[in-house]
Amino acid sequence: MRFQLAALSLRRHASRTLLAVLGVAVSAAMLLDMVMLATGMRQSFASLLGRNGFTIRVSPRGTLPFDTEAMIGQAHQATDAIRRIAGVTAVAPVLGTTIHVLGGRGPATAFALGVDPAVQGDYQLLEGQNPAANALVASDALLRATGARMGDTLDVAVGFDPQLRTFTGRRRVIVAGRARFTYLSADDRAAALPLASVQAMGGAGRSDRVSLFMVRTAPNVDPEATRVAIERVLPRVTALSTAGAIAEAERRLSYFRQLAFILGAVSLIVGFLLVTTIVTVSVNERIGEIAIMRAIGVSRIHVVHQIVIEGVGLSLAGAAAGLLLGVFTARWLNSILRGFPGLPDAIDFFLFQPNSAFRALALLVASGIAAGIYPAWRAASLPISATLREEAVG
Amino acid sequence: MLAPLVMALALTPDALCAQRIDSIPPWRVAVRTVAIDERLAVDAGLRVGDMVVLAAEPGRASGDTVRISAIVRRRADPSEVARSEYRIRMHLGGLQDLIGYGDRVDRYAIATAGGVAADSALRRINALAFGFHAYPSREIAVETSKTFVVVSRFHRAIGMITIVASATFLLCIMLLKVDERRRDVAAMRLMGISRATVVRAVMLESSFVALLGSLFGVGLGFVVSAFVNAHYQGVYRTPLRFAIITPGTVTYSVLLSLVLGIGAGALAARRLSRTPPLTLFGR
Repeated sequence: MRFQLAALSLRRHASRTLLAVLGVAVSAAMLLDMVMLATGMRQSFASLLGRNGFTIRVSPRGTLPFDTEAMIGQAHQATDAIRRIAGVTAVAPVLGTTIHVLGGRGPATAFALGVDPAVQGDYQLLEGQNPAANALVASDALLRATGARMGDTLDVAVGFDPQLRTFTGRRRVIVAGRARFTYLSADDRAAALPLASVQAMGGAGRSDRVSLFMVRTAPNVDPEATRVAIERVLPRVTALSTAGAIAEAERRLSYFRQLAFILGAVSLIVGFLLVTTIVTVSVNERIGEIAIMRAIGVSRIHVVHQIVIEGVGLSLAGAAAGLLLGVFTARWLNSILRGFPGLPDAIDFFLFQPNSAFRALALLVASGIAAGIYPAWRAASLPISATLREEAVG
Repeated sequence: MLAPLVMALALTPDALCAQRIDSIPPWRVAVRTVAIDERLAVDAGLRVGDMVVLAAEPGRASGDTVRISAIVRRRADPSEVARSEYRIRMHLGGLQDLIGYGDRVDRYAIATAGGVAADSALRRINALAFGFHAYPSREIAVETSKTFVVVSRFHRAIGMITIVASATFLLCIMLLKVDERRRDVAAMRLMGISRATVVRAVMLESSFVALLGSLFGVGLGFVVSAFVNAHYQGVYRTPLRFAIITPGTVTYSVLLSLVLGIGAGALAARRLSRTPPLTLFGR
């Protein structure tokens, strides 16, 4: 009965109800998008870093991995020192550099990683095999840029001497595999070679040096404790656990998180105000009707229920429409932000997580309930005879 | 010894691209000098005149003892906003010695008379210098501003959604506001006032409400933008302004609000004026 009366009341002003539902839907969509933005980046980044089981990144002191061109010297010694720490199961040294692939089309510049193929976590092999000495695996973008195919030989250099006008650190390498690089975008030209090759090509400046270590710890070991142990053993490095890296990324991208919070809060307030206004006006229009219901014995709580149901109905319909609209707009917004140069393929800014999404929509519906309570209680508390007389006289 | 790793830029003193906020007179300078970032000075508790040791790598025993001759403040550069590293400006030779870079530089910035002179200089450098490539500044600006193009597109998209949300809200409110006047409209119609006059009166009222609302919104916008700027300038330690209200923004939002308000008012007024007065009275 209460539901029927509430539905009839909403249907009586179909255009107004439709507009209110549309307003709540847009607010819900915005709220949902902002929740997806606030939680999506963190989840997406955590999942990216957690791939391959590496829990700690070790970079030169005071830097983040690949944030500067600084390197860690005496890499062999450092590798052994990290390996000796309890709980460490694998250490993957990585040396980053720029290479020039020489050939008919002119030099193609690419980002190269020197890795230990046995423990690396920087790429997934799509075709072929891991690089041995004088071999590399390349990204599709690099293969496209050079026109090379699997098994081809490339002339690669790591530098250029302007005085002698010659490329330095030159070496002929075979394309042994095609790979997708985890931390790079699909458009990045990238290659991975054995660490020893990159160090040798770089000459004295890169001898026994690495850009970072990726460290894998045993499942039952607290990465934070291992991180502290690494910094104690090697005072010239900064060790960053996955949690620390996420915190740092969040700090750098705090603008988006705060924007999400502010816009999410505004959406919630707009939705609340809209439902409050609609229900209040609807109640004011039906003062006489409500007074008659009360006069014929309908309880106060019944009246309150009916009006609150109207508010909930508006919020629920709006939230359902907002869910669809929100998922659609999130895809659109995500496609815009995916345009950031150099963004790894695996990073999504908007990630639909059912728990967070439904919690946000439940909050909107709860605000709809709150929005209906005050006007409902006010209407149900009006003096019956005075209201009837006023309504009759007009 | 400086604990944090410092990213050093080698520049001649005249080319310091930051604002000098404190310095010592040149005649008092005897040892090699550097200029440091204001944020490094604050975080490390350094002052002009302090002696520090610079090393190319953390933990290296040997280093270069220098005197801080100036503390500089970074200019508002959006490309640096999320970067938190410290910066030291050194003489070119000092940095080359410190990092064992030899007689090499990463790049040159070349000033020209502009226009044709820049184009011809570019052509001549690229023709002469094997192994180098000269780029016009605008090309570099386009390349380095890709991030901001994306952010700008994102802001526009968010703005569009916000406009749809606020337009719906405004339409709803205006319709309800006009609907509340049903008895007044009925009375006016019964007194013999024409439909057109009633519609005009209601539209005038709704446009007045929309104008008042948008003016209040503009005021709120100024307050919020001041808060946003103060907050993010503190978070990112930059003089950059994050929210700017331009006359164009104000005009656009006021016009949009007026159009929506008047449109909603017209819609509701037409509906009311076509309803028989007694029906509006509920009879």
